[in-house]
Amino acid sequence: MLATWKYRPRDTFIQSLDPRTRLIFLFCVIFGLSIPQIWDYRIIVPIFALSLTLYFIARIEWIDVRRAWIFIIVLVIFIVGLNALLSGRGGPPSVLQTQSPTLFEVQFYIPGTKLGFTVPITIIKLWFAIVQITRMLTMAILVIPIPYTMDPNIYGVAFRRMGVSDKISFAMDLAFRFLPTFARDFATTVDAQRARGYELETLKGGIAAKLRRLAPLIIPVVMQATVTGEDVIDAMDLRAFDTNKRTWIKELHYSSRDQIMLGLGVSIFVACCLLKWVFGIGGFFVPRFFFALFGY
Amino acid sequence: MTNKSIWVFGTRQVVFGAMGAAIYGVLSWTTQFLQLPAAGNVSFRPAVAVLVFFGIAYGPWVGLLAGVIGNTLGDALSGWGFFWNWSLGNGLMGLISGLAMPMINDFRARADLIKGITWGTIGIALGMIFASLTEIFVGGINLNTAVVGYFLPAFLGNFIVILVLLPILMTAFAGVAARRGR
Amino acid sequence: MSEAPLIVEKLSFQYRTRPELAIENISFELRPGEMLLIAGSSGCGKTTLARCINGLIPRSYGGKRKGQVLINNKDVAEFPLAEVAQIVGTLLQDPERQIVASNVYNEIAFGPENLGLPSEEIVERIEMAMQRLKIGYLRERETFSLSGGEKQKVALAGVLAMKPSILLLDEPLSSLDPASAYEALDIFRSLADEGKTVLLIEHRVETAIAARPDRLMYMEDGQVKYMGPIKRLPKVIDHKKVKLPADWIVERVKRQKNPHIPLSRPEVKERGETMVSFENVAFRYSDENPFVLQNVNLEISHGDLIAVLGQNGAGKSTLVKHAIGLLKPTQGKVLVGGQDTRNMSVAHIANIIGFVFQSPSHMLYAPTVREELEFGPINLDFTKEQVHKTVTESMTTLNLNSLEEYPPLGLSFGQQKRTTIAAVLAMRTKIMVMDEPTSGQDYANYTHFMDTMCYPEVHDDSILSVNYAATLFITHDLDLAITYANRVLLVGEGTIVADGAPEDVLKDFKLLERCRIRPTSLLNLNLSLLPKTGGFMPAEDLAAFT
Repeated sequence: MLATWKYRPRDTFIQSLDPRTRLIFLFCVIFGLSIPQIWDYRIIVPIFALSLTLYFIARIEWIDVRRAWIFIIVLVIFIVGLNALLSGRGGPPSVLQTQSPTLFEVQFYIPGTKLGFTVPITIIKLWFAIVQITRMLTMAILVIPIPYTMDPNIYGVAFRRMGVSDKISFAMDLAFRFLPTFARDFATTVDAQRARGYELETLKGGIAAKLRRLAPLIIPVVMQATVTGEDVIDAMDLRAFDTNKRTWIKELHYSSRDQIMLGLGVSIFVACCLLKWVFGIGGFFVPRFFFALFGY
Repeated sequence: MTNKSIWVFGTRQVVFGAMGAAIYGVLSWTTQFLQLPAAGNVSFRPAVAVLVFFGIAYGPWVGLLAGVIGNTLGDALSGWGFFWNWSLGNGLMGLISGLAMPMINDFRARADLIKGITWGTIGIALGMIFASLTEIFVGGINLNTAVVGYFLPAFLGNFIVILVLLPILMTAFAGVAARRGR
Repeated sequence: MSEAPLIVEKLSFQYRTRPELAIENISFELRPGEMLLIAGSSGCGKTTLARCINGLIPRSYGGKRKGQVLINNKDVAEFPLAEVAQIVGTLLQDPERQIVASNVYNEIAFGPENLGLPSEEIVERIEMAMQRLKIGYLRERETFSLSGGEKQKVALAGVLAMKPSILLLDEPLSSLDPASAYEALDIFRSLADEGKTVLLIEHRVETAIAARPDRLMYMEDGQVKYMGPIKRLPKVIDHKKVKLPADWIVERVKRQKNPHIPLSRPEVKERGETMVSFENVAFRYSDENPFVLQNVNLEISHGDLIAVLGQNGAGKSTLVKHAIGLLKPTQGKVLVGGQDTRNMSVAHIANIIGFVFQSPSHMLYAPTVREELEFGPINLDFTKEQVHKTVTESMTTLNLNSLEEYPPLGLSFGQQKRTTIAAVLAMRTKIMVMDEPTSGQDYANYTHFMDTMCYPEVHDDSILSVNYAATLFITHDLDLAITYANRVLLVGEGTIVADGAPEDVLKDFKLLERCRIRPTSLLNLNLSLLPKTGGFMPAEDLAAFT
């Protein structure tokens, strides 16, 4: 098994940005929506549109991300659905407090018995679920492209330049260095055990037995690493690791487009906070048109 | 080993943190293709046993690095994205497991295996609680949803994994450690 | 005060975890530009001596040190590590473990970055190191995808970027094929010629002398048994412990008081039935990739003891993986026991062909040796009684009975290697395939190992001939093919370029050169004596014919 990164060099706006810009922008949006608890669709939808635009100009092939998207969408729907069922609390308390017309009821009963409960789906709950899905997807859309568009090779230096310590930043680089090695070792181990009649396809028995059957694949790789590590420590000590403040020859520079993106990210964050805390805008409410949609 | 020394952070911790991260990433990625049973939405990530093992064998710093970096690299390799709160939760998992390091003298002894499992369990519990709670805050879900939708499946799956695989890893390590000269 | 850059004085060391001294009372001095070859079998103390010189002892390894190691007249223990690193440059045995960066440029930069030098100076040093080793063309490459020889050079460049005046090379040839090894030795020589003091640790004296070291230090049991010029090596140097040129061995054997009794050669029995056959096999990993195997036709028959020779990357492993079904041919077919491997699972083929992977660490996992050996037979659905019987017999054959309850991961490398062989032996296959059976072992150990496997013990039978109808081993060591095989497959550029008896295949020097295989002193001596001997044999046996 050859560990191939999802990252590809592409000539796109996103990939011309400094990695720090992208991380800072990402956190500005995530924290902008969550710290002041923004639930107003008039704020969320524009940010959603912005994320979507950034996603599309990143030009990631659908075939690559398909699996990730299916997973995320299923998860988001599952979680939001679960949230709606388990009382619709969460997020702004208004969902629970406001009375609103019931659209339909979902029944949960053990077949043939009277054990169970009925969950009413109200207009408010439904709107809340829609907003919640949009909000979660806004964040997911920003987060999913990262592996495809950010060279793992520069994670280390990016974190260093954001003030993380030399040692932690270098650990990131070193992990990146050893990842393909372990992927190859793992593949070799799989081959070696298969040559001893081990069959991956037929993991027999219950959960515990199946997990235990993974030991012949996992143990050799992990134990090999514990031995290799001792030599790597020597190799690094012998080249003066952790004796001085390190120089990192890889330079990162903010260009004007980085400054624009950073400005945009920070503005989103500040605007969200100001709107919510100073002007009282941004909380949850159900717009008129949504009631109208159902004839209320 | 004294309590003080578990917080030493030097070349050794950097190297094993990185190695743990690389293996955790690789195994998270490769074992997702294995047909493991799933009850409801409980998913099994056998690699978690490796993360807890690195914590127990090399201490909290190594566990923290292996969890944070390993989860990030595993997600990058699989193409899931960058879920910072789950990466931090994984880091916490490794870090807390690592607090057991000074208490383990014989990686083969029954009592020490139990200590390992206990601390590993506390680690995955707190790590997953952290990640699930941040979902409340970020995703706007309620506590029940966080517990049922995120915490329980992640915790139960990981708990079974360490219950089964951690003792096997620790026992194997006892053999390797016998060969070391340091 | 002496001018010598390195003075070792009455040095002894005992590891905290061991009861005995690892090295004892070692003294020597080296001048600038001098190259010292340090030889000895594993466990002789070479590595400990190296750690004392580069400062890892006493810094990283605890224990009792006596005597001193003076670098530029100051004890190494008194320097901060950052300073030692700029005087003594160490190249470790396995470049795979020395390389800590993902790409070549960053790898060379690693040391100077750690010193906190200004960027411009680091860039200058990288350029200097790359230029010195002529590896500028590798600058953009990922370290993971480099060949063994390239990795070695990149690792060395990383050391040279620290501008050391003393170079410590710890078994630098062990992961290289012969062609790359000689290239590396030329580089070491030129570095010494530029005035660097070089310590070359290597058990393959025959190969290492190509770097023309000034002196040789021979160690046994932590002590220096000989220190002096290479030309007249005294008898204390055991030709069974380090690999000497064939004519030196002959001379030694002749001078021995007790005459050498040659081991009887494994009999070349009549070829029997065909067990595996390759018919016009070609292989590539995917449609976009070039073919890595082409036009391969091959029959493995009863009685074969085949050495598969070729440089790294020639396609040896790919070829063998087809026989065990891990790879299936893109074109043509591979038949095992008359069946097409396309219709067989790997587990099914595992009933017929046993494969021992190069490194024991890729397969050992069980808590005890016995459980390790049971793994294969249980996978193959042996009955409980069969498992018990075959495992017990395999342990006896490879002399592992006393280790039955021991964890394989805690064994020495040689014992681990034997465990892997026993694990495959317990599967009762008809054919044995070994990938680089000698890798990771020193000369003394691997000679002993191969002798045990291939040479008759009782009557005319060896472990291999009793248990297997045919054996195949992959190697890049020409001398193994000469000494142990009855048939040689020469693999080059993805195909079999020659197939036949060692005496026929290996006399074609043009062909060897094309396959980047360098004739050894043993081959030369065997060829010159062939009219008298009638077949290839180990150097010791040749003594009787000169």
